[in-house]
Amino acid sequence: MVLEALEREGVELIFGYPGGANLPIYQRLPGHPKLKHILVRHEQGAAHMADGYARAGGKPGVVFATSGPGALNLVTGLCTAYMDSVPMIAITGQVNSTQVGRDAFQESDVIGATSSVTKHSYLVTRIDQLPRVIHEAFHIATTGRPGPVLIDICKDVQMAEAENVPPERLEIPGYKPNGHVDLERAQAAAIALGTAERPVVLAGHGVLLSHAEEALREFAERAAAPVGTTLLGIGAFPVKHPLSLHMTGFMGTGWNLKAVQNADVLMMVGMRVDDRVTARLADFAPKVKTFIHIDIDGSEMGKNVRPQIEVVADAKQALKAMLPHLPEPDKGRGTWLAQIDAWREEHPLRYAHSNGHLQPQDVLIDMYKRCRNEAIVVADVGQNQIWAALWWNYDRPGLFLNSGGSGTMGFALPAAIGAKFARPELPVWCVAGEGGFVMTAQELSVAVEHQLDVKIVLLNNFSLGMVRQFQDDFYGGVRSQVDLTHMPDFVKLSEAYGLPAVRVEKFADIAPAMDAAERTKGPFLIDFRIDPEAKVYPIVPLGKSLNEFWEAPEDA
Amino acid sequence: MPDNIRVLSVLVEDGPNTLSKVSGVIRRRGFHVRSISVGPSQEPGRSRLTLQVDHGHAEADQVRKQLERLVEVVEVEDLTGHDVHSRELIVAKVATSEVAGLVQRGARVLDTGPEGTTVEFAGEGKDVGDFVDELIRHGIVDVARSGPVVMRRTA
Repeated sequence: MVLEALEREGVELIFGYPGGANLPIYQRLPGHPKLKHILVRHEQGAAHMADGYARAGGKPGVVFATSGPGALNLVTGLCTAYMDSVPMIAITGQVNSTQVGRDAFQESDVIGATSSVTKHSYLVTRIDQLPRVIHEAFHIATTGRPGPVLIDICKDVQMAEAENVPPERLEIPGYKPNGHVDLERAQAAAIALGTAERPVVLAGHGVLLSHAEEALREFAERAAAPVGTTLLGIGAFPVKHPLSLHMTGFMGTGWNLKAVQNADVLMMVGMRVDDRVTARLADFAPKVKTFIHIDIDGSEMGKNVRPQIEVVADAKQALKAMLPHLPEPDKGRGTWLAQIDAWREEHPLRYAHSNGHLQPQDVLIDMYKRCRNEAIVVADVGQNQIWAALWWNYDRPGLFLNSGGSGTMGFALPAAIGAKFARPELPVWCVAGEGGFVMTAQELSVAVEHQLDVKIVLLNNFSLGMVRQFQDDFYGGVRSQVDLTHMPDFVKLSEAYGLPAVRVEKFADIAPAMDAAERTKGPFLIDFRIDPEAKVYPIVPLGKSLNEFWEAPEDA
Repeated sequence: MPDNIRVLSVLVEDGPNTLSKVSGVIRRRGFHVRSISVGPSQEPGRSRLTLQVDHGHAEADQVRKQLERLVEVVEVEDLTGHDVHSRELIVAKVATSEVAGLVQRGARVLDTGPEGTTVEFAGEGKDVGDFVDELIRHGIVDVARSGPVVMRRTA
């Protein structure tokens, strides 16, 4: 019954792991050849694969896990999806309904453990609930602000037979996904931004989720307003566009931060305005007279920054409603854009490349030259993530995937596998540090088993690089528990898993290794031994305002 | 009432997870429940919660907004500062049969025996507080007190 319902929702792919409490579902699985199942090596891997599949392909990712440890292993992956508003359906087995609460074997309170990391969850104790629950779950996961929904199904319900009648219509009185635009507010927002002297637009993940990139570009060009993106909003606006401010936040570009800190009207679209965007909140965008906040989730209004104009709506609908009300750009606009160009010249992205070490930026620049905007880059968490965010010129949506809100190490490899399943026609590059990579490296087996063309770029600096950088700069220079000298030989590890790999230690070997990766069908790993002292720049020191960003030292 | 307390009337779908989800959201957003009353509403399958919540360092409207995000929550009315009827119920046992003073204040005697007298009283929070002061003078053996239930005044 579960499987029929999934077919009805258009599911084609499931990432999962069987166990005692979901065996009845697995028993029926071979009878549903339209449902392809990917056997993962750890349930966290399944959750990240489903996440990558959803981010890359737009369809909700589906995960199966058994009760107790199986379900609890999903928690990190659910949290990752929840923080970044990714649609996902997790179907977990639960002990028999008559055993719930008796501490049965592999019983755990999965609803309790996952309530804070799911958009919604259900415990199904009767078969007649099941068709409605599954239909509702897909609706809730994919509408409004998307998110993961968990369905915990008791084993006896999985075994029960019943007539599988889909509910005719949805009735969820407590579910109110926003979407419709208050036209008066949209007009007020358009006028405020259009008549501003120093407007700035920041775009978040919500712009990508609502497919509002075109609407955003049209709006920005008409308003002659510069646009920056959040880390998760990368791709919402072309990096090389003359109005682009590239990435904002405490590791954003200097010209972006200068623009934000000097803006008089700041419009924030499809974003949460979290601490990574604002740095010290009291000093965030201090010259702004009018904050405009557009988000589909009304609870984001004033959660961190209180807007003067709030538009609770889908980003695309809001931008489209605003467009006709944009006045001619203010006369002073040319001066503002010229000022931003001057800041762009004054604070370029740069890195040290004459110390004899292999630099991560060189690796990424080579990668970009080959792929341009015809590949998906999935980054892990840490320095590798920020380098991958800043050193590619993303000009289309959906090409850069990473765990922005939750910052989940180990995300990249399984998410890249999921992304490849969703978009088999596109090259998929997984960029990871060695620390995060080993957290989920067991999923290499899945990449090999299915001969997935996932190219793994390991930026190996023998340490937890971001933590090391923080310790060096913000925690008194005390290097504590960041040394990763004792790690596997990644070439041999790859061989053991059954995929080819090479090691690169100098600049001249980057291109040949990349050539080999591109030539090879199936997964390929390159262990880049990068500068062990490489740092991420720009960076705003912890607790400081965006004005106080540090830049990379000029190359000696 | 302190500034950071919100008074909310919340209509919810009945279900085994509802109360834990409501309380979970309050906890993880850094709020704190000062009082809670739950009972069936006029609509079958739905209950009404009256909550007094301390919103801590968050913006005042976050309590309502975060509760509204829950699928189990049908409707949230923020009644803070509104003209409302607010009633609390107290049931108390005192170690005396001399309860004329309590009855005069509006208490009703539920039972009386050799070990004392059980009375009930309902009223606004302040009246209940005054009633408790009076109870203390009578020697409280035991007391059970509800949180307020609140409804907007007509007219």
